[in-house]
Amino acid sequence: MLVRGTGSCVVIALVGTLGVAVGFVGAIGGVMTLVSAIASKSEQHHRRALTWVFVMAGGCVLAVAAMEIALLRDDFSLQYVAANSTRATPLLYKIATLWGALEGSLLLWAFVLSLYVTAVAISFRRRIEDRLVAWALLTMLLVCVFFFGILVGPADPFGTLAIAPIDGDGLNPLLRNHPLMAIHPVMLYLGYVGFTVPFGFAVAALVTGRLGEGWLVLTRIWTLIAWVSLTVGILLGAWWSYEVLGWGGYWAWDPVENASFLPWLTGTAFVHSVIVQERRGMLRVWNLSLLLVTFALTIFGTFLTRSGVIDSVHEFSASSLGPLLLAFFALILVVSVALVGWRGDQLRSPGSIDSPLSREGAFLANNLLFTLFAFIVLLGTVFPLIVEAINGDQLAVGRPYFDRMLLPIGVALLLVMGVAPTLTWRSTAGSVVGTRALVPAAIGAATMVLALLLGAEGIGPVIGIGLGGFVIGSSARHLVLAVVRNGWRGITGRSGGGMVAHIGVSLLAFGFIASTSFSEEGEFQLRPGDRGSVAGHQIMFVDIVDEMDGPNRVVRARINVEGRGIYSPTITQYPTFGRPIATPSVATSFIDDVYLTLVAIPEEDSDLVVIRVLVEPLVAWLWVGGLVIAGGTLLAIVPGRRHARADLEEVGL
Amino acid sequence: MKRRHWISWFCLALVSSLALVVAAIADDPPATDGERAYEIKATTLCPVCDGQNVLESNAPVAAAIRAQVDDLVSEGRSDAEIRAWMARQYGKDVNANPPRTGIASLVWIVPVFVAVVSAAFLVFAFRKWRVGRGAEPSDDDLKIVSSLREPT
Repeated sequence: MLVRGTGSCVVIALVGTLGVAVGFVGAIGGVMTLVSAIASKSEQHHRRALTWVFVMAGGCVLAVAAMEIALLRDDFSLQYVAANSTRATPLLYKIATLWGALEGSLLLWAFVLSLYVTAVAISFRRRIEDRLVAWALLTMLLVCVFFFGILVGPADPFGTLAIAPIDGDGLNPLLRNHPLMAIHPVMLYLGYVGFTVPFGFAVAALVTGRLGEGWLVLTRIWTLIAWVSLTVGILLGAWWSYEVLGWGGYWAWDPVENASFLPWLTGTAFVHSVIVQERRGMLRVWNLSLLLVTFALTIFGTFLTRSGVIDSVHEFSASSLGPLLLAFFALILVVSVALVGWRGDQLRSPGSIDSPLSREGAFLANNLLFTLFAFIVLLGTVFPLIVEAINGDQLAVGRPYFDRMLLPIGVALLLVMGVAPTLTWRSTAGSVVGTRALVPAAIGAATMVLALLLGAEGIGPVIGIGLGGFVIGSSARHLVLAVVRNGWRGITGRSGGGMVAHIGVSLLAFGFIASTSFSEEGEFQLRPGDRGSVAGHQIMFVDIVDEMDGPNRVVRARINVEGRGIYSPTITQYPTFGRPIATPSVATSFIDDVYLTLVAIPEEDSDLVVIRVLVEPLVAWLWVGGLVIAGGTLLAIVPGRRHARADLEEVGL
Repeated sequence: MKRRHWISWFCLALVSSLALVVAAIADDPPATDGERAYEIKATTLCPVCDGQNVLESNAPVAAAIRAQVDDLVSEGRSDAEIRAWMARQYGKDVNANPPRTGIASLVWIVPVFVAVVSAAFLVFAFRKWRVGRGAEPSDDDLKIVSSLREPT
């Protein structure tokens, strides 16, 4: 066996290991320096902590660079590269292999975390002596110590093989046949890891007793960046699953999906309820708790997905890290509860809520619904484990359960979203709501009628669609009035951007309701030239193309979707992977998607194929809605900064 | 609210209710065998593919279960009979819908309980807040106000 370039591999493994070690040392050095700085109140010590942060980030960049070079140069003497990459892997997927398996994805986690901590350190460098900032940085660095510790010890990404294989095994083919797989995990991690920053400041606020609104103002932009990244990351995952997995859906209430959804739910509750605190100084305990829980849930989610305790189609990287992650999760919970308990008396809010029919009341309703939502998702996810632990019974909690329990909450959330913009702070007279909500409600009713004319049916879906129209009307009314008053700046800022995001949510709701409630399906056995028809869409099987793509056998059925062109659902047989992989082909439009899957390829001496055709209305609006939500959040962030400066002076920071 | 607003709201309520009645009528329950079989397949999990239902899974055993469901439906078995049969054959955890009896029923009950308790808590909190709002001004407060009102 030819072992190529052993020398350079050893160097790369060495550089990578060194990088991780430097990161670890940097994190520990930062922690120790900050502890002594906080104890001695010396300005110099504080500054030195910044240097340690840069050392840590530098080490991590080095490690990531080493891994990428190893992947790009096919250095199979590195265990990780040999197990997860091949020579034939296309460039994009070689780069993305960094986050394709356990060790690499933890390296990415550490990398993103280092970047966040560095960004925080740089943007707060002038106020590093401020005890609040110092404690926040300390908390974040402790999280870094944990993750670098994992990389140094149990999940070392730079383990080497004594004899390098000539070619690697490659990733699960599902993870390397769509470009979305290259972006989705990165966005998800930007969101997941990003919640470390507000978590750090929340802990700092509790420790220093500076429980006013100052720390919230400091972290507003960071929280929104984390939130929008997580939102986009989750939606990209749904989109990937739709484009690749071939069952025509995008969300399966799979434990791993739920793990990413849980911190999103509590994070979403937070970005809303924090407005009440900034405006009225209320809900302090609640908001702190939401942030602490959100961060704890990111660790819990990682535990669920990395420990192998739960069956999931997503389990691409189970490992033995379970106990470590569970211990870390428990530590976070204990520290959080202890801190909140310790500061409990100082967390009493000065204000009070005057009336349920007010902006505050709407935010409270939102929070009640979101936390209930999160609770049900959590319960449904871990319930099989609980039952098995109690009496050994095996049972499943699947989509019917989540649909039954959560759809009513979703409907209630839409209602609150529609009513809230018509409410004023403190207290609103019913007649004011009656006047302001009239036009939005008329838009909602018109949407319902329109949906019925277009063939919608069923009470649930039609109510949902009507409420979606109501939300759009209500948000648009708010935006129009804001633009009339303030010009184009009216669509920016938290309320303007928020309304834009709400319109995005409604579009997403339309896509979700229509595609889950009104899709139609057909399965056809076709010979070349045969036709089939589903929901008014004619398809014709043109021919089959059977070819070799490198070592893989690729069978394409070319299908003419009338009015949309030729689409080719595919079945690929990878030599390194047992079962053949079917890849769907989707003829997308803003009205409906024609989703084609090749169920079976022709036997020898036959030209009969089996094609599954799924017509799903309005699916594209899920992704459009996501884009609008992201745009709205960016509108909310950008001018928020300027306000933040003014606010900071106000709170004396 | 002006009178014409009341009229408009009334019309809107009327239109919406009518729309919902139409929507309910258009939505027929799963009547044909095909629709019943579809419903059962969508809520039966494939035993070897970690959480995917048999309708969506490509695994051979999923195809076998699909065929079995079709057979049992065409034999005229009820939904409950078919689900019980599947549970005997492949284990209780092929049913995506958790049972409503025994300890498993907690998964249905607990959220409702939590929802009621937290809603009650909110109502209680509003009461308390409202009581707090009506606080009488203290003598010191009155003194401050009067000193500001009457220029000395």
